[in-house]
Amino acid sequence: MEVKLAEAVVVIKMVMKKYVSILFLFCSVIAFSQKENDDSKEYKKRVLESTEVDFLMSYYSQDGNHASVTGGVGTEELTDITPTIIVSIPLNDDDVLTIDAGISAYTSASSSNLDPFDSSGASQGDDDDDDDDDDDDRILAGNIEGSPWVESSGASKQDIWSSVNINYSHSSDDRNKIWTANVGFAAEYDYTSIGFGGGFTKLFNEKNTEFGIKGQLYLDTWSPKYPTELDSYLEAGSNLNNGFFNGLDILNQNGDIIDKNGAEVWSPINSTLIDNKSRNSYSVSLSFSQILTKNSQFSLFFDVVQQNGWLSNPMQRIYFSDRPNYYVGNSASISNYTSKENIDVFQLADDIERLPDSRIKIPIGMRYNHYINEKLTLRTYYRYYFDDWGINSHTANIELPIKISDKFTLYPTYRYYQQTAADYFAPFESNLSTQDFYTSDYDLSKFDSNQYGLGIKYSDILAKTEVFNFGLKSIDLRYNSYSRSDGLNSGIISFGIKIVNK
Amino acid sequence: MKKVLILIVAITTLSSCVVVKEYQKVNINDPDMALTANKIEKFETNFQIYREGASGANGGKTGGGCGCN
Repeated sequence: MEVKLAEAVVVIKMVMKKYVSILFLFCSVIAFSQKENDDSKEYKKRVLESTEVDFLMSYYSQDGNHASVTGGVGTEELTDITPTIIVSIPLNDDDVLTIDAGISAYTSASSSNLDPFDSSGASQGDDDDDDDDDDDDRILAGNIEGSPWVESSGASKQDIWSSVNINYSHSSDDRNKIWTANVGFAAEYDYTSIGFGGGFTKLFNEKNTEFGIKGQLYLDTWSPKYPTELDSYLEAGSNLNNGFFNGLDILNQNGDIIDKNGAEVWSPINSTLIDNKSRNSYSVSLSFSQILTKNSQFSLFFDVVQQNGWLSNPMQRIYFSDRPNYYVGNSASISNYTSKENIDVFQLADDIERLPDSRIKIPIGMRYNHYINEKLTLRTYYRYYFDDWGINSHTANIELPIKISDKFTLYPTYRYYQQTAADYFAPFESNLSTQDFYTSDYDLSKFDSNQYGLGIKYSDILAKTEVFNFGLKSIDLRYNSYSRSDGLNSGIISFGIKIVNK
Repeated sequence: MKKVLILIVAITTLSSCVVVKEYQKVNINDPDMALTANKIEKFETNFQIYREGASGANGGKTGGGCGCN
């Protein structure tokens, strides 16, 4: 027994010795590698040297004749101001936190016509319902003056979209691996969104080659607002003698007042509006970039996007060609309904836009940049896009930065875009009520567009000029003019200032 | 589309034998050579997402986050 115990002790000692040796070796390796890491830490450059702050602002203005809220006809006048701040903070040598917060404050003539019957301030309305729609100032029968060409003063005329995005990135000591994670929140009066994402980038080949993968998820929710006549019809229990419709004259195509108790009366085609308020988007993005020469490099982007839920916009009206038309307002203007001269008659909608509850989008993009000389750089971009709604598109962009001095650079740009129509698109009064899906949103129609722009940038690498104890690094100013072949024209002026903590 | 893919494969293959050293990257590191859009372009991209059927493949937003595209 004692012999066996002694043998066991010897075996345990041998095993212990072996493991202690392994442990010692392991610790030595760790210590060595730690020393190496410590050495590399001594020499590695910070990913971001100091806190940077970007103040950005844009003013956007557009006009056109195909408002989707009024079924593909009507004014698309819209203005939008977007103050934004982006703060990038180095947490240590390897980690950067970026906060991007902004608002988009817009006024829109077409959105205002969600309720074209608003009383424009001099309220003669009498809406006693306790819902949260904006029909409380609606004019009663006989006084209505609405038109797709006239801006209403309803609550939907203006809104603020606000968003906050927080992005965190971590780089490895050799800067060949980058991990990112982001979370975001956005809200406007009829829509909220929560987004999450993460990505990984790997650099190879002495940082000549880069591969990245990114995933993004948006969980969005509608707080739907509907065209006022459709909403009111359901509120009135589908009875044209109740609620909003009580005492309201409805006209037929000939301008005659209809008998609301007769056989031929206006009614929406569907008795339900939105039955699923969610709208989720999932995307995977792959990117690859390669340095070609000392003066040129390119990158490829490939995204797969899957969207599910209520993908149409509940504010957008549809008028079918195979159903009789009914109006509210001045009968004499019915014949001029699609003309800007119509300022006082409005056609009652047949339905809201309806689109499939899923969509797969696949865009493939490519950038190629070439350093021509110390004064001139060529920046190009091309994208091919297709989706399962029938839209195919090509986008081409060229920019030619010209350094006119040490501190000033000009940015002339040109962008061409073209797309085919979605399978479900038809113009005003052209969809059929027998279709499952329909839209008159001209953003989904066939068109091409041209965009011309010019920018100027002041930059000071040393950031010598002080602003609020920060150094002024750059100032950007850009203007772009955009024209679409369906008649939509817009312009955007953007301004940006970057300051750094000195 | 086929031509684009051939071009991409050709460029990738041709590029695989070239290595530009760090000290040779002065021009590549010029801010205007960045393979991303400028920050100030986010506003243009934003209105394009609203006014056009296509989006994505530009290193930025692909869809979601707004009642737009």
